[in-house]
Formats: sequence, structure tokens, C-alpha cells
Amino acid sequence: TAAEPWPENAALYQQLKEEQILLSDNASSLAVQAFLQMCNLPIRVVCRANAEYMSPSGKVPFIHVGNQVVSELGPIVQFVKAKGHSLSDGLDEVQKAEMKAYMELVNNMLLTAELYLQWCDDVTVEEITHPRYGSPYPWPLNRILSYQKQWEVRRKMKAIGWAGKTLEQVLEDVDQCCQALSQRLGTQPYFFNKQPTELDALVFGHLFTILTTQLITDELSEKVKNYSNLTAFCRRIEQQYFEGHDKDSAAAAARPAKRSFLR
Amino acid sequence: MAAPMELNCWGGGWGLPSLHPESLTVMAYAKFSGAPLTVNTINNSWRAPKGDVPVLISEDIVISQPAKILNFLRKQKYNADYELSAKQGADTLAYIALLEEKVLPALLHTFWVEAENYCSVTKPWFASRIAFPLSLYLPGKMSREALNRILLTRGGPPLYSLSEVEAQIYRDAKECLNLLSKRLGTSQFFFGDTPTTLDAFVFGFLAPIYKVCFPRVQLQEHLKQLPNLCRFCDDILTCYFRLTVSGHSPAGQDTADANLQKLTQLVNKESNLIEKMDDNLRKSPQHPPRKLTRLKLAAGGGESTPSSRLSP
Repeated sequence: TAAEPWPENAALYQQLKEEQILLSDNASSLAVQAFLQMCNLPIRVVCRANAEYMSPSGKVPFIHVGNQVVSELGPIVQFVKAKGHSLSDGLDEVQKAEMKAYMELVNNMLLTAELYLQWCDDVTVEEITHPRYGSPYPWPLNRILSYQKQWEVRRKMKAIGWAGKTLEQVLEDVDQCCQALSQRLGTQPYFFNKQPTELDALVFGHLFTILTTQLITDELSEKVKNYSNLTAFCRRIEQQYFEGHDKDSAAAAARPAKRSFLR
Repeated sequence: MAAPMELNCWGGGWGLPSLHPESLTVMAYAKFSGAPLTVNTINNSWRAPKGDVPVLISEDIVISQPAKILNFLRKQKYNADYELSAKQGADTLAYIALLEEKVLPALLHTFWVEAENYCSVTKPWFASRIAFPLSLYLPGKMSREALNRILLTRGGPPLYSLSEVEAQIYRDAKECLNLLSKRLGTSQFFFGDTPTTLDAFVFGFLAPIYKVCFPRVQLQEHLKQLPNLCRFCDDILTCYFRLTVSGHSPAGQDTADANLQKLTQLVNKESNLIEKMDDNLRKSPQHPPRKLTRLKLAAGGGESTPSSRLSP
């Protein structure tokens, strides 16, 4: 219930870091971890092969707090707010509207582009996604699960009009989104000046993951690197909220050193 | 001069130039940026709409989808955003994403999925503008696509039934309308005094909700409680589309003058005619009218004579 304080043993579930998790899920998980760190709420990351199936909404990450299970950043922010912790209380109504709009922009463009790259770009699908997604499971289950997921994602892409896009067009959309984020951030430390909000956590989750994940080509991370204030932003949040923790912390796992083993 | 540009899109009703959000967005942007577009509304006699609507045709170039069409117009120097700062341009993208995620599902639902609305308003309206036999098939297809889109993007656990999904999308849409209202505040447009791309998109999405009369109107009722958004839509309709709020046809400066001229001519003709008749009567022999008068008096009494009626 909302009245209970945040327990010590709160856990965040995601897929296996080294072998299984994909770009988009890693980004979402990192966003939630960043948000909880910013709220100063302790959480430990638990990796399970079937995290997606355990989740109440079918999406990762989800958190297990006390006897409640909440998945995805939006509901988690609401849940945390009900417990009395909020990063966006200091914003006025217009700023809150702006924050929500930018969060939708990230979901609409960045997350969709990540999904497109993972599941609709044939080369990436063959070489990275299919081997990773079903890796904890024996043949033929691994192939069946990943084909099923691919079919689901492609259906959604078709419904929102992304199926007809080429990779170049998708990368252009990513560039447009990064440009907007860069212009909005400007020279400020965070999107709403001095204090980070859930928007900062979400942007960090996606951009940091894109910058530190090795894919077939570097085209995606190059788009982000074009904007120096965005890379500085990621470094700043990493240093402030993830460094100095033990080796299990999320950012440590997302670093290039470990990532480069995984292809 | 630039090549002539034609826009093929769905037509309007209920005081709107178009019922279709994407078509309305493009038409509004064209008005704001001063782009000379010839608008062809799809009707029975025209070729059946294939693929995406609206479609911009300029010489050999064919462009669909509002974002691409607006990009093309900007490249042709019809830019409604040139006064915006970089941050405002970024805000535009963000708010458009918000509209598409939060308002569009409910809009699609109101038009295409809500059974009463679809059967009594949407389907007949669209079917009447598509040539037979496509009119039997296309509205149904658009309805299925709308439901598909809603379920794929917003359905899924923990919402398991269509009614739960519906409840959620309307909640989200109402919250988004509240956010837009707060963002607009008391200004005339979203970025000050001149309308921009964002205004075109907001208008395109909100005006159909605001104006079209459906049997089930929960979203419209909510919108009507946000007077600044209603005023925003009405302002654009009167200033840029020259449609009065009650929805009658345009009475622009030129047509008003023309009407006045015609009226004056008519009055002059009438008075000339009256004078002529008067003249004729004065010249004609008196007796026949008197006989008539006597007859009339005998029949009913108190009736004025034809001659006295005509006197000035």
C-alpha cells in the first residue's frame, strides 16, 4: 500500500544482461534505474530470463516493492509518487505539460526507432536480435520465441506507419529527435534547469544505451554523438548517480568494455 | 513562380473545411504560411482515393503524410515557423508527439470504432463521398484499421478487454486536452500572435472533435469545458477559413460587396418596375379598374383597389 515506506529489498527485474537483453529493453531498464537513483530509493537489479513473462504488462523492466509489482516508467513514477517521492513537484503546470510532451517524443521516436532497428532491419535481426533474444532457451524454443516477438513488433510498426520506412529515414527521425532534445537542453545541466526529473532519467536511459551498445554499424550512436551537450549530459548523470557504486550497478554493466564481447 | 500545387483530401461539414484530422492539419498550415493550394475534395465523381490521404501533387511530385507535406511546403519557402526559436521548434515536435500518442486514439475511436457514431454519422458521410462499389468496402476498412491501431498501440496487458482500453484512452485524451489548455493559457496561438505548425496540428486534431455532431460525445463535452481551446478553434475558422461560427458559407469581403451590388440592382429594378406599372395604369382607361373595384366591393368589402395599391 502507499502508506508503507520504501523497503530495503526492492528489486528491479530485467532480462539477462550479458546474453539476452536487447537495446530497447536495456534503455527502458536503465531509465527506471536512473529515476530511482535520482529519488534516492535503493533498488537491486535482478536478471531473469523470463522477466518479460513475469511482468504484469509484458514489458520490462518491472519493480517488486513490498507485495506490489509495477512495470514501465510511467506507472512506476506514479507508484513512487504515491509513496511520497517525486522529482517533478517543483514544476508548474505548463512545465509539467512540457515534460510529458518530451517524454512522449522520446517514446514516439527514439524507442520506436530502437525497436525498428532491432526487429525490422534484417541484418541486425539475423546477427544480433535472434541469437540474443532466445539465448537462454533450447532449440527450437529460442527461434520460435524470437520469431513470435518479431511478428508482433512488425505488426505494430505497420499499424503506426513505420513499416514502410527505410533505415535512412528512421535514422533521420532519430537525428530530428536528438536535435530537439539538444535544443531543449541547451546549456542547462538538466532539462528543467537545476534538478533532474523523470524526463532526464528517460533521456539518459535511451541515449546512454545507444552510445554504449555495439551494433552492426555505428550509425545510431553517431547520430547522438553529433550533439555534444547530449553526450556531456549522459556523462554527467553517469558520474553523479552511478559511479562509486558497486560493480553490480547498471551503468557499469552497460559500459562498452563488457558490451564488446556480445555480438 | 512556383509550380502549382494541388491537395487532394477529404471534404468538410459541420462548419469545417475537412473532417479528416490530417487533411485539416495540412489545409490549416497552408493558410497560415500563405501557400497557394488548390484543394480538391474527394467526391463521388473523382477517382477513388488510393493509399494515403491527404496527398499533395506538384507537377510530378506526389507526397503523402502531413509531416512530409509540411516539410515540402517549408522547402518551397512557405514556412510558418521562421520566427520560432530553436527551443520552440523542439517544443513543437514534442507536443505533436503528445497529440499523436494521447489524443489520436480517442479521436479514432470516436469516429471509427464507437458503434453508434460510426453507423449513424461516419460511415454514411464517407460512403457518400466514395464512388460505388468502393463505398461499400472502404469505410469498413478504415474502421478496422482504426481499431487495429488502437489495440496494437494501447491494448495489451494489464488491459484485457476493449472497454478497459476504451476507458484508458479517453482518460488519456482528456488529460492531454487539459494539458493543452494549460499550455495555451490566454494567448491567441501556442507561440504568441502568429500561428505555426503546432497550431495547425492542434487545430487539425481538435476541430473535428469540437464540431462534428455525434450521438456519443464524451470527448466533445470535455473539450467544451476548456473555453480557451474552443476559442482557439473558432478563431482559426473565422480568420483563416472565413467560416462563421454557426457554420454557414463564407462571406468574405469580395462576396459581401458583390452581394450588396446585386441587392442594389434588384431594388433598382423593382422600383423601375413599379414606376412603369404606375405609368401604365395612369395611361390606361379608368373604367375597367372601376368595374373590378365594384365587383370586389360586392364580394368582400374593404379591399383596396388595384390602382390605389400601386400608388407610391
